Amino acid sequence: MKAMLHTIFQRHWNPYVVLLIAGLLSALYFGLTSTVWAVTGEFTRLGGDILQLLGVDVADWQYYQMIKLQGATWSRPDGWIVWGMFIGALMMVLLSNSFKIRLPQQKRRYVQGFVGGIIAGFGARLALGCNLAAFFTGVPQFSLHSWIFIVATGIGTFFGAKLTRTLWWKGRPSLLRGAAQPSKVKARMIQPYLGAVIAIAYAGVLIYFFATGQKLLGLGALFGLAFGVLIERGQICFTAAFRDLFLVGRSLMAKAIIVGMAASSVLTLVVISIYDLTPVTQIAALSTLLGGVLFGLGIVMASGCETGMMYRLMEGQVLFLPVFAGNIIGATFLAYAWDHLGLYDALVKHGEKINLLDALGPVGAILSTLTMLAVLYALTLYREKNYHRNFELNRGVK
Amino acid sequence: MQANKEADFTLDLRGESCPYPVIYTLEALQGMKKGELLQVITDCPGSFRNVPEEAIAHGYTFAQEPVKNGQEYLFYIYA
Repeated sequence: MKAMLHTIFQRHWNPYVVLLIAGLLSALYFGLTSTVWAVTGEFTRLGGDILQLLGVDVADWQYYQMIKLQGATWSRPDGWIVWGMFIGALMMVLLSNSFKIRLPQQKRRYVQGFVGGIIAGFGARLALGCNLAAFFTGVPQFSLHSWIFIVATGIGTFFGAKLTRTLWWKGRPSLLRGAAQPSKVKARMIQPYLGAVIAIAYAGVLIYFFATGQKLLGLGALFGLAFGVLIERGQICFTAAFRDLFLVGRSLMAKAIIVGMAASSVLTLVVISIYDLTPVTQIAALSTLLGGVLFGLGIVMASGCETGMMYRLMEGQVLFLPVFAGNIIGATFLAYAWDHLGLYDALVKHGEKINLLDALGPVGAILSTLTMLAVLYALTLYREKNYHRNFELNRGVK
Repeated sequence: MQANKEADFTLDLRGESCPYPVIYTLEALQGMKKGELLQVITDCPGSFRNVPEEAIAHGYTFAQEPVKNGQEYLFYIYA
């Protein structure tokens, strides 16, 4: 029992296992609700809510009509996905006694996080989805826009990684001569108790939703919680997947995400054919490409995407407060620019909703998806090998 | 737990978020002479895994097992 508790709370979970479960759960969530695991759409609605509080009428903004700005965030299943993720992550952070206010030593990080957050929020919504709806849960919906988005994110991340490497961006660390003392550890442990209180209160919310017949809210809250628990315990970072490949030849996260998407694609296909559902397809257009590049650049600048930001904020990483604010501002500005600045006419109108299931049939769709993922996997391995070969060569020279 | 050998350098990364702990650690190790000992103090949960794994992947060795100290980790790595 003690060993099991240790494994669950004291260690981070294996990302492969976590992303396999997340992939399967997101397919299941789609089967139950016909919607996908996503967060930035709700961020945009939150921006709309705030504007309306400030007296701005956004009811006639086309973007809000498209993503349906109705009710309050706690009466929307997508809202509960977001709050569930925050609460699930916080619960696990507390139960594992790992909450700590973490203030960056480099003050420039706050500016980087805020600016990066705005760019990432804007880009994600321009492309109609972040690394979830246009990536992790977009590929399993066989929506072609997610293929474009992945390539574009890769390009954006590449330039982001280049920027991260420059001295004026990363700053100098505090390298001291000799040994230094670590922080004093508090003997009293109260975090796990707070975590347990949150868990019980949240169970009450779930019971309330299901008992009063609000099934969609209950499912949103339940799956949101599960996703929050998973991404925190697995330290799932979509930003790291591409970025760390470019920066230090690290491939773990990229490989785990690809494996999770493959499993999710197969199960989603099964779900779609059994329940005769219509997959969620988004427009593939120039906006997908541009949005993806901006998103990739923004998440590296901010050190986290809209998903990774959530659990890091709950861990007490203060850097992610400006990132969160930036995400909402960027997404909301995109909603404004959509019709008011003519983005839709310029970049989106000529696009088309293309779904591989319609275009190629179920066998063609799953085969092409798995092939695409296999190519991504091979490229990941190639990049990792290549990086380490170059590193060894340089070391030899030195 | 104390390192058998006093660290030659300490990289205090408390507060820094990923990817900077990994970048800083690898750069510090690259700038040190072979055999010198680096102590890394970090509290970014992502770095608990990627710092030791990348240090090893880049050919460095650990002087001792990582030490968990409350909400932070201490690493002792030979350049």
